[in-house]
Amino acid sequence: MAKKRERLDVIKDILNSVRENRQIKPTRLLYASNLSPQMFKDYINELISKGFIKLEVDDKEKKTFSLTKKGFEFLQEYKVIERFVENFGL
Amino acid sequence: MSHLLIENKELIKIFYGLIIAVICIFIVYRSDKLFRISMHKGIRYFRNAFLFYGLAFIIRYLFGAMIFYNYLSQFYSPVINILFEFFLVMAGFFLLYSLLWKKIETTEENYYTSLFNSKIAIFYFMSLMIVLLDYLWGTHGFMFVSQIILFAVISIVSYINYIKKGGRHRFLKFYLIAMLFSFAAWVMNFITAVYLNWNQALLINVYILNMLIFLLFLWGVVKVTKK
Repeated sequence: MAKKRERLDVIKDILNSVRENRQIKPTRLLYASNLSPQMFKDYINELISKGFIKLEVDDKEKKTFSLTKKGFEFLQEYKVIERFVENFGL
Repeated sequence: MSHLLIENKELIKIFYGLIIAVICIFIVYRSDKLFRISMHKGIRYFRNAFLFYGLAFIIRYLFGAMIFYNYLSQFYSPVINILFEFFLVMAGFFLLYSLLWKKIETTEENYYTSLFNSKIAIFYFMSLMIVLLDYLWGTHGFMFVSQIILFAVISIVSYINYIKKGGRHRFLKFYLIAMLFSFAAWVMNFITAVYLNWNQALLINVYILNMLIFLLFLWGVVKVTKK
């Protein structure tokens, strides 16, 4: 059985998907994140509220997600953050 | 040797307080940087623990030294003791909470500040009670007992974390050792204060043990945050 992804891994995977696509539609990101719709919604709301991603709506009402500066920083420091949390049992 | 140390104990105390305060500032700086990027609550509470340890040591040893060398009035002595105890007890609570927050809070719960919110208010209340009781009884007994219990619990939680990882996680083993040292330091401190009338030679051993614990944390943070 595949190991359950830790919360930080899920965040990293979502942010990586957004980064790789520069701008990504919600449905595509849902598939890429491999989460249930409810879980996806929870994570996305959290990432928006923490300022890691931003939601943009164009003239035709099309929604896309893009990475913020903070989101880029998170991905760069991800390994350090992961190590810190794991090693100090946080 | 111990005679020389006892004679210069005030200088040693300043040196001791200064080193621990610098270690705490460094840990707060590094963990705050990681928190700002990750917004991880565990990192946030870990940072708060060392923020309070730093404040406690700065107040107790640096302001304490100012009183000893008559740069500050004796009038402030009880205030310094109360603040020292308060910050020290709060730091212990934050350290425990950094290990347990996942079982108490949901990730959706977002507080504007981690230094004061409805859950942390319980710690403030408990710390104030401990400080108040010690002040009224003219003792440090309530602080010692609370910290002995607290570090016994932290040691158990650290042991569970270590076992959960199959007992092979080297760093969690160090964390567990640091917590067991902390527990031992508080027990030694309690015995020295209550049964040995603040025996200075033994107290220096407590200082050395405390310094070792903070150095272990420093080593851990430097190693983990190294890119």
